[in-house]
Amino acid sequence: MSAEIIVIGAGHNGLTAAGLLAKAGKRVLVLEQAEVAGGVGAGAEFHPGYRGTGLLHDTTAVRKAVIEELSLHSHGLSLRGSEPPVFSPALEGKGVLVSSGREELPDDHGLSDWDVEYTAAFREFLGRVGAALSPVLNAPPPDVFATGVGDLLSMLKTGLSLRKLGRTDLLEFLRMGPMCIADVLNEWFESPILKAQMAAPAVRGSFTGPWSPGTALFLLLQTASKEHAGVQGGPAGLTAALLSAAKANGAEVRTGSRVQQILVSRGRATGVSLTTGETFGAETILSTCDPKQTILKFISKLDIPLAFRNDIRNVRMRGTTAKMWLALNGPLEFSSRPGRTFERIRIGEELDDLERSFDGAKYGALPQVPHLDIWVPSVSDPTLAPSGHHVASLLVHFVPYHLEGGWNDGARTKLEENVLSTLGRYVPDLKKKIVAKETLTPVDLEARYGLTEGHVDQGEPALDQLLFMRPCQSCSHYATPVERLYLGGSGSHPGGGMTCAPGRFAARAILGKK
Amino acid sequence: MAKSYDAIIVGGGHNGLVCAAYLAKAGRSVLVLERRHVLGGAAVTEEIYPGFKYSVCSYVVSLLRPEIIRDLQLPRFGLEIIPLKCSFSPLPDGDALCRWDDPELTRREVARFSPRDAERLPEFSKSLLKMSQFVKPLLSLTPPDPCSKNPNDLLELLKVGRRARDLGPEALTRLVKLMTMSSADFLDEWFESDVLKAPMSVSGIIGTFLGVRSPGTAYVMLHHYMGEIDGAFRSWGFARGGTGQISNAIADSARHFGAEIRLEAPVSEVKVHRGKSTGVVLEGGEEIDAKVVISALDPHRTFFKLVGPQHLDPDFTAKMKRYRMRGSSGKVNLALDGVPEFVSRPGVGPHLEGDIAIAPSVNYLERAYDEAKYGNFSSKPYMNIVIPSLVDPSVAPPGKHVMSIFVQYAPYHLKEGASAWPEKREAFGNAVIDTLAEYVPKIRDQILHQQVLSPWDIEQEMGLTEGNIFHGELGLEQLFFLRPVPDWAKYRTPIRNFWMCASGTHPGGGIMGAPGANAAGELLKTGAI
Repeated sequence: MSAEIIVIGAGHNGLTAAGLLAKAGKRVLVLEQAEVAGGVGAGAEFHPGYRGTGLLHDTTAVRKAVIEELSLHSHGLSLRGSEPPVFSPALEGKGVLVSSGREELPDDHGLSDWDVEYTAAFREFLGRVGAALSPVLNAPPPDVFATGVGDLLSMLKTGLSLRKLGRTDLLEFLRMGPMCIADVLNEWFESPILKAQMAAPAVRGSFTGPWSPGTALFLLLQTASKEHAGVQGGPAGLTAALLSAAKANGAEVRTGSRVQQILVSRGRATGVSLTTGETFGAETILSTCDPKQTILKFISKLDIPLAFRNDIRNVRMRGTTAKMWLALNGPLEFSSRPGRTFERIRIGEELDDLERSFDGAKYGALPQVPHLDIWVPSVSDPTLAPSGHHVASLLVHFVPYHLEGGWNDGARTKLEENVLSTLGRYVPDLKKKIVAKETLTPVDLEARYGLTEGHVDQGEPALDQLLFMRPCQSCSHYATPVERLYLGGSGSHPGGGMTCAPGRFAARAILGKK
Repeated sequence: MAKSYDAIIVGGGHNGLVCAAYLAKAGRSVLVLERRHVLGGAAVTEEIYPGFKYSVCSYVVSLLRPEIIRDLQLPRFGLEIIPLKCSFSPLPDGDALCRWDDPELTRREVARFSPRDAERLPEFSKSLLKMSQFVKPLLSLTPPDPCSKNPNDLLELLKVGRRARDLGPEALTRLVKLMTMSSADFLDEWFESDVLKAPMSVSGIIGTFLGVRSPGTAYVMLHHYMGEIDGAFRSWGFARGGTGQISNAIADSARHFGAEIRLEAPVSEVKVHRGKSTGVVLEGGEEIDAKVVISALDPHRTFFKLVGPQHLDPDFTAKMKRYRMRGSSGKVNLALDGVPEFVSRPGVGPHLEGDIAIAPSVNYLERAYDEAKYGNFSSKPYMNIVIPSLVDPSVAPPGKHVMSIFVQYAPYHLKEGASAWPEKREAFGNAVIDTLAEYVPKIRDQILHQQVLSPWDIEQEMGLTEGNIFHGELGLEQLFFLRPVPDWAKYRTPIRNFWMCASGTHPGGGIMGAPGANAAGELLKTGAI
């Protein structure tokens, strides 16, 4: 059997690319190893009656261009009106409740006057920088070695859009980018708990702590990548719409089809074979699996230039994220704000708390007091759980893939205990509320989603793994040194998270569009 | 009425002296004012204990720019560099790694730990050489302003950009990696043996408040690899007579060209009138006028002590306050009764005629940093040790030796506060000697005298704010056109006729002399004097 284009992986990027390619008239076949489409964005029941919404939380960066080009609204996608504020509980005091997007601060924010004033000023600064950076995120990486007039013009345009920031902002941006997020936040704010909450996105998914240089840039980039208040239903809502759109445009999606090998002949990709032995020929192959899996696992050593293999081997993707699902018989109630229900919660009261859990990860130790990013999607979508019940999604940070002694059931249980005792300090009756739980260590994430080392972004966000260096210079424009083989997952520019941008750019590269 | 000068330089550290020498050579009347009784700032030799000459702070040299050595005729004024023979890293298990000045010997040594690493070393050196050839011309460049509308700035930037592009994809990729990665990650791409990677990675953390796994440290590694003596790449050395001899040679050169240098002449303030500096006032009340005043002190001392916020716009003051200069290292200087005996390589030998790194593994170094992050000195620190008396008998009595131990991490800001250092000094010294004793069990019996310098002591004695040896951290956000602060990276200051010329300006710290030379060049070019 053969198709014009085979897309490996029916995650959000794979489905985006498949939809766009099919819409352009290509015959597209999507091969997905799991039994359901959606990849990390697939929603599934983790306990009878309780549905999950996908691995990640944030969908505010899903590209508007993708929503429009695939008419996702007509495939059931709807955007939220506003982002729920984030609550950081404290052991003493009321904690802080802070809106994360463009929304006004809630009345009961719990911040000092100083922090209120500077939160506003900081957001304005982030907004201005974000506006200047967004052209970078909404285009393939600049081709620094290009000689064509068009390429040079587009680089010049990026440079000019940054210069438009004006002298003060531009210099501040250039200064802030390489800094560690802890220093930046210490310059602006006074409340330790606010700083801890704000630092969290800057170190998410990377092998860095708040004191690591360069982390400030990732806060700037995340702000710049926000396009709206998020997708109704989260990642699962997004992938459902993408799947429907891809099919409507004529793409065929085959689940339960695990790729064994990408077939290469004389330096050119010709098809794939599945673990079942079935083979498919294709003119073009787009892999949305991570670069290491694609290049090092799917392709025979002999078919790849050594230098390229080395470059890919050097891509750093040390997973540090674990996931936990809780089925709850009632809302999470925090002792610092009794009687209130929150949709988004972050646990961590000080920058040093985060740094300490990162310290452990460096040496392969489990975090004693893990940093938790919690989303309770059932607050806005009660259909996810039986009436009055809730589901809570916990992203547990600084849990090392390379655990000293290796991962086993005992280690998983220990991780679970650490997570629940940490959360239990703030939610006294937590244990009584838990109906069921599911824990996925980085090794489980690797097994379930095929993510090398369990890295949720398919490559650490780091200054040297961005733009024309993501995943590495020779394939940063989606085409690889293997002819007709493209990469288009989170491992490619502009990187991880639910943006659908890498899939879109890869599809455009295949179609020969800029 | 006292004499008036073209330029007064506050601070007789090596950069102040280099600046003075260049200005004097160009025919300007120059006066250098040094607070202490010795010249050199942190590049100083002192006989703290009779007969033993300590290179009190800075102890090896390699970054000193060759054109400065040439222009200022330093060998003629007594500068002699003795190259290090070896980089010796003893291990706790009784083994050791020696990296020799002879690549073939090094290759064989490394091969004992990893044949693959041994094969990769030459390529690694070649690659770093290429990077440093790219960076070196930037050292003597006055940083162009990326926001400027001045065509010269844009042209300079464009030139830098074009040179980067001309490196080609492979080398440019490597350059970006080098500028942004951690030294541990960067070395991981090349090597597998921890025994090799650990002592190599430390070049990336010296003088910074970062660990070997902190992004950005690979650049500091390059900064240290750029050193050259007689054009030989990556060679470090001792100055004969101690590090102070470098300062003395520069001072003699400056005097030769006509500069005046006064010792024990502490400046209490810079005179500022209507936003313009007119001279300085000494602590005794003496006033000296000059067309320009140039500060060779670190930026914080310059603006918060010499000038004072009353003369500065609050915006600038705020920016300057944010300039980070957290000290992270200390120094222990020992007078020894004999040659210390290392378990891993007993006896005297060429392996001791270089630097000795206590850096047994990458995790060891990272753990040392972890302690410092939370305001403690490392209980098992990284140490860089030299015994200059083995190759330069002039610095110790016959049969005796001086041992200089650079220690990291010793954070200036202890969790009890910086002022707790006097009480902690002894414990810090003990941690250093205890760690050393693991490799040199008999060291305690050999110590005749011991000088312990915490970053707080370095601040008190040498006048380096927070004891930061580089006048400010070498983070990307404090380099090039951002050093020391945005808008003021061209050796000028918001006060007219008041300039900066030391390590707090581009290209930063180490005994490099480039800031002093660049500032002098800029002053002469603009016709300020």
